[in-house]
Amino acid sequence: MNNPKVSSKIPDSLLIHFYRTMVRIRNFEQAARRLYMEGKLPGFMHMSVGQEATSVGVCSALREDDYITTTHRGHGDVLAKGVSVDSAMAELFAKSTGICKGKGGSMHIADLSKNIFGANGIVAAGIPIALGAAFSAKYRKSDQVAVSFFGDGASAAGPLHESMNMAALWKLPIIFVRVNNQYAESTPQSDFQGIPDVVRWAEGYGMPAYRVDGNNVLEVHNTTEKAVERARNGNGPTFIESMTYRWYGHNMGDPGICRPKEEIEAWKAKDPIEQFKNYLLENKLVSGSKLEKINDEEERLTEEAIQKAEKAAPSPLSSVFEGLYVDVALGQKAIRGDRR
Amino acid sequence: MSEHEVMFREAIRDAQREEMLRDKNVFVIGEDVRDPWRGTYKATDGLSSEFGNERVINTPIAEESLIGLSLGAAMTGLRPVTELMYIEFTTRAMDAVCLQVAKIRYMTGGQATVPLVIRTQGGGYLASGAHHGNSLEAWICHTPGIFVATPATPYDAKGLLKTAIRMDDPVFFIEHKAMYTMKQVIPDEEYTIPFGVADIKLKGSDVTIVANSFMVHLSLEAAKELQKEGISAEIIDPRTLVPLDNESILESVHKTNHLVVVNEGVERCGWAAEVIAIVQKNGFSDLDAPIERICTRNTVLPFQPDLEKYVLPSKDDIIKAVKATLGKE
Repeated sequence: MNNPKVSSKIPDSLLIHFYRTMVRIRNFEQAARRLYMEGKLPGFMHMSVGQEATSVGVCSALREDDYITTTHRGHGDVLAKGVSVDSAMAELFAKSTGICKGKGGSMHIADLSKNIFGANGIVAAGIPIALGAAFSAKYRKSDQVAVSFFGDGASAAGPLHESMNMAALWKLPIIFVRVNNQYAESTPQSDFQGIPDVVRWAEGYGMPAYRVDGNNVLEVHNTTEKAVERARNGNGPTFIESMTYRWYGHNMGDPGICRPKEEIEAWKAKDPIEQFKNYLLENKLVSGSKLEKINDEEERLTEEAIQKAEKAAPSPLSSVFEGLYVDVALGQKAIRGDRR
Repeated sequence: MSEHEVMFREAIRDAQREEMLRDKNVFVIGEDVRDPWRGTYKATDGLSSEFGNERVINTPIAEESLIGLSLGAAMTGLRPVTELMYIEFTTRAMDAVCLQVAKIRYMTGGQATVPLVIRTQGGGYLASGAHHGNSLEAWICHTPGIFVATPATPYDAKGLLKTAIRMDDPVFFIEHKAMYTMKQVIPDEEYTIPFGVADIKLKGSDVTIVANSFMVHLSLEAAKELQKEGISAEIIDPRTLVPLDNESILESVHKTNHLVVVNEGVERCGWAAEVIAIVQKNGFSDLDAPIERICTRNTVLPFQPDLEKYVLPSKDDIIKAVKATLGKE
């Protein structure tokens, strides 16, 4: 394993993009948390607050036509890959203006126009889907790359190991991004993983692996760039383990009884956004007033998205069977039943 | 019109071959599908030799990722024809088939399109035991979002598979291991068969037998014997279970007033129960007697051939059921 040195060649516009997108994700999720607790959002919700640098560092190294799949904790990843705040927020509200027309919800945000093949409600299920996108890129001789974000919990599941084997075997352009937030739901890694250093697994399957500080957006970005270059050049997959932490419990129903308070506070002190902000200011890369302006703009973006989503119509009953089958006539035959 | 004779497995191979010639996005992927092994039931014979290993891909034994990979590729616009060696191996890919492939279009609000065909085979009668001889179509029929085809003849298999490969919705295509060497004369010229359209495999007037896949052939044998006793059976083969051609079934029952449903799945909560529910609801006044069903008995499939024979549907079971519904026991 070797960690790349942080490059100083990153242009200002990209530094600003890093900051802006991390702030965007943070605002989106903190607003979603508040709205959920106010009873305004139905269903389940899993927050990724604290993991923003991983989402942004990885996705900023991708092109718009590259593919991603992510997890039930995927708000940050899909926002970083470019889903609009308006359409993602409306989806949380189950509105017809949601990116999935209110049919998917928090755990299923997908934007096919951005090659976001979806968050996923089943742990590890997105990994082979990304493998298929990578397979397709190679089949079509395009230079697109696929990324699968998954958690440390998913790392113990079969699909990761099946997919790593196939990816290495066929030199597919895929990057396995293990977002190591230390817990599978409530269970700490020491309770479900035989060895602490799973980067060794990747080397065993025949692909390079890196462990990065997942709260350092520059480090995540630079490492992902290396992996992307390798994949685009036809040299196959890479495994990246991004060490990070989620500030809140497994889901909105988790009061945080499973993790020590000191541990949470220690990670909050390593807030990826604060760290990056200090880095920008200390190195005089961006002015404080510029960052304040971004904060204001992003705050407005989230507030406006909430207002629009609240005003939008819920997915109407008339849409209940829409989008089930492409062949609508055949689909109607398959849908019909006894209920009046 | 010129014709030629093919085996069921050749019809399956020819459908794939023709669609691969027609569309570069069509590819075949699965365990052991390349020549010289050419698929466990030889239904991909010659494809890797003709199209190369780029378009005919052998995979590791990893069904969950095989189906997941096929889904991801389909979402990018490719048209995978994925061979799942045995229908039982669906258990290893149940999430991928039932939660991912079938649901992703709906869950994304209609954004994702999944032009994927999962070809597999099931069924007993060959002492293949409890892990290789089941008929599990009801599991997939119970999952909204995916179509299910169960062809009974080489002609149907070819036409339905070509349709399935061209469809933009996912299809679970179930062949029967006892039928791969069954022969039939089929047209030389290209044809396709639409989904949701039943075929009357035998015209008759006294009783309707609804049967799918290999059960069509058992029913035809039963009908031949019944004919000797002056009983005229009509055999309706729905060809696709989802969507189901309710109308053809109801029309036949309207004529015969008696129904026997034959399906190789385990009886309890099986596909036959679905057909029976549809007919009692929509054709109740046409019925002169209770509906009979012949399915696999509610037990684990035994290996010992005599025991297997006892639990699977037989020609004699069908004859008995027909006589029971006609009051001729």
